[in-house]
Amino acid sequence: MARHNLSTVVSFEVTRTLTKRRFWITSMIGPVLLAVIIALVVSSNTATSNRVDSQKNARFTFVYSDASGFVNPTVANAMGGSKAADPAKAIADVKAGRSGAYFEYPSNPAKQTTKVYGADNGIFENGKYSALATELLVASARAKIGNLATLAQGNFPVVATTYKAGQESGGIADVIPPLMFLVIFYLVLVVLGNQMLTSLLEEKENRVTEMILTTLDPTTLVIGKVISLFIIGLVQMVVFAVPVLVGYVFFRTPLGLPLLDLSGLLAHPGSMVIGALLLAGGLILFTATLVAAGAIMPTAKEAGQVFAVLMTTIFVPFYVVSVVVSDPGSFIVQVFTYFPYTAPVTAMLRNGFGSLSVLQSTIVIVELFGLGIVVLRLAVRLFRYGSIEYSKKVSLKAAFGKRE
Amino acid sequence: MKTNSAEPLVHIQNFRMDFGDETIVRDLSFDINRGETFGFLGSNGSGKTTTIRALLGIYQPTGGTLHINGRVFQPEDGGTLGYLPEERGLYKKESVIDVMTYFGRLKGLSKHDASVWSLDYLERVGLEGKSKLRVDKLSSGQQQKVQLGVTIMNCPELLILDEPTKGFDPVNRRLLMDIIEEQKQAGATVLMVTHQMDEVERLCDRVILLKNGHAEAYGTIADVQDQYGGTVVRLKYEGDIPRSALYEVTLQDNNYAELTLADKVDEAVILRALVEAGVLVRSFVTSRLSLDDIFVKVYGDQGELEVRD
Repeated sequence: MARHNLSTVVSFEVTRTLTKRRFWITSMIGPVLLAVIIALVVSSNTATSNRVDSQKNARFTFVYSDASGFVNPTVANAMGGSKAADPAKAIADVKAGRSGAYFEYPSNPAKQTTKVYGADNGIFENGKYSALATELLVASARAKIGNLATLAQGNFPVVATTYKAGQESGGIADVIPPLMFLVIFYLVLVVLGNQMLTSLLEEKENRVTEMILTTLDPTTLVIGKVISLFIIGLVQMVVFAVPVLVGYVFFRTPLGLPLLDLSGLLAHPGSMVIGALLLAGGLILFTATLVAAGAIMPTAKEAGQVFAVLMTTIFVPFYVVSVVVSDPGSFIVQVFTYFPYTAPVTAMLRNGFGSLSVLQSTIVIVELFGLGIVVLRLAVRLFRYGSIEYSKKVSLKAAFGKRE
Repeated sequence: MKTNSAEPLVHIQNFRMDFGDETIVRDLSFDINRGETFGFLGSNGSGKTTTIRALLGIYQPTGGTLHINGRVFQPEDGGTLGYLPEERGLYKKESVIDVMTYFGRLKGLSKHDASVWSLDYLERVGLEGKSKLRVDKLSSGQQQKVQLGVTIMNCPELLILDEPTKGFDPVNRRLLMDIIEEQKQAGATVLMVTHQMDEVERLCDRVILLKNGHAEAYGTIADVQDQYGGTVVRLKYEGDIPRSALYEVTLQDNNYAELTLADKVDEAVILRALVEAGVLVRSFVTSRLSLDDIFVKVYGDQGELEVRD
């Protein structure tokens, strides 16, 4: 019967949410906005790129004078340039429309201004003169110094090999995989937190608590609601993720996104297991706390105050993230590691950066699971004995008062 | 749920309920037999709803025994229970049929059976065509009907109705009474909380009157009437009615009087005493106190108590 009721609750909660137009409108707002932004960025980038290319590739004849001696005549010729015999005449020719442009390179282009003269073709088109003048000098410099130009720009590959406890370590490639659990933790709480809080409020606000309690074990109801929330959250995440994936796969280049090479990431089983357990324990504790808050408060508005406080605790560790990374033994980091509501984020960060020992992680995991289960039982009890107080805040004294 | 037809369906023994320092119910004991309709009466704040909630495991009792079918009620027994709570409510943003089907499934019906039953019921109570509407689009009376449907859809063995006619107009009140009568005919045991004494006299086999958390009277309606002076004499007369320990003159106006008889006093003795005192008796009619009268007599001094019921 309990299992039947659990599936009934899950089915009812999931179906009624997914069949609501409001759910889809709310869920699609983000992806639609993202799609619009992607479209705008792609079209803007394409237009800009085309314009730059057209300016770069614009073929027009020009003359130049070069006091520096850096300009390579061969390169200049290839670009359609020829040396000016007389600067004053060159400017006059440009003014009269007899010449496309005139570039006047000073003796020290690095410190002095290169002057460019050209026929006015509009504010955007006029950019081609400066672009070509710059391109000519860069190409001439490259032709002169060869690979040194590349080295000067720092465009050369470097591979670092580091060691930890005698074993080769992966550096940032080691850090990223376990930190994915932290990202999931934030995503789940941001997407589902408010729904967790209000999940039991609905029974209270609709005055159906008594009918529910006489047909359904409250633990089954709470667990059913939480399972439903995770299913709904998963659907929402898929809805959010699809445009991101589509954008990345099909528009990576126009969006200027880097190629993600996941093969370089190193996922150590130990830190991944600890990360997963910290995530699970953290979610149990926060879910239970939000559900309990919902059972106490009479309305969603009042419950929202608790939500704000709880959400603060998951962002507070980021104020000391530099200390968490550089000095994990400091007092403040220790406090944040073991205080239940800052523990998940702090411990997951430390696990990612490799500063959480097995003993410390065991203590935190046990603490999160233990407290999470206690708070979940508390939430069930508050709902059972407290939610009957439909229109007022539940008195903890009344809920846990003298009863046999 | 195991059934033993010899023992009462509901057994409450020495029930006590405290909230903090406040005692809501003290030393309450009564039984409800299988198949009977039982009236649970009392003024606001006398502890009726608290007793029902404790009986259904919503509250944990401070002391005493509260059994349904020989054991403490558990939610898994919900398939045999129909409970219409005083605080009415349904999932307001959902459609009528979805809500009814959901509760039907929680009570052990299949989705198909719950849906078919619900549609039949909605047609019967004049809500055909409203099944797809959201609950909050229905009027208050229509919502009450839906809630009643949810209460009885599993053909309950025990039907607990906390002020069932609250919010109903006279037409729908009659419909509700018919439905309760049907449930009774189908073998349901009914526990009914109401302030409508005419409903109690019409439907209930036995009653209990709760006052300040303890039983003031308990038994058949006749037992309760006996307990509260039982008989009233309505008298048309000439002369002076003498004072007597045999009766109390509760009303006297223009050769008309009502005498409430003392316990175990026969009407014939009163008549003889009046005649011997020289009263010319033109009309002498005996009747029993109505439940309404008894209710006023018992709770008249309490006024309207607005505390936890």
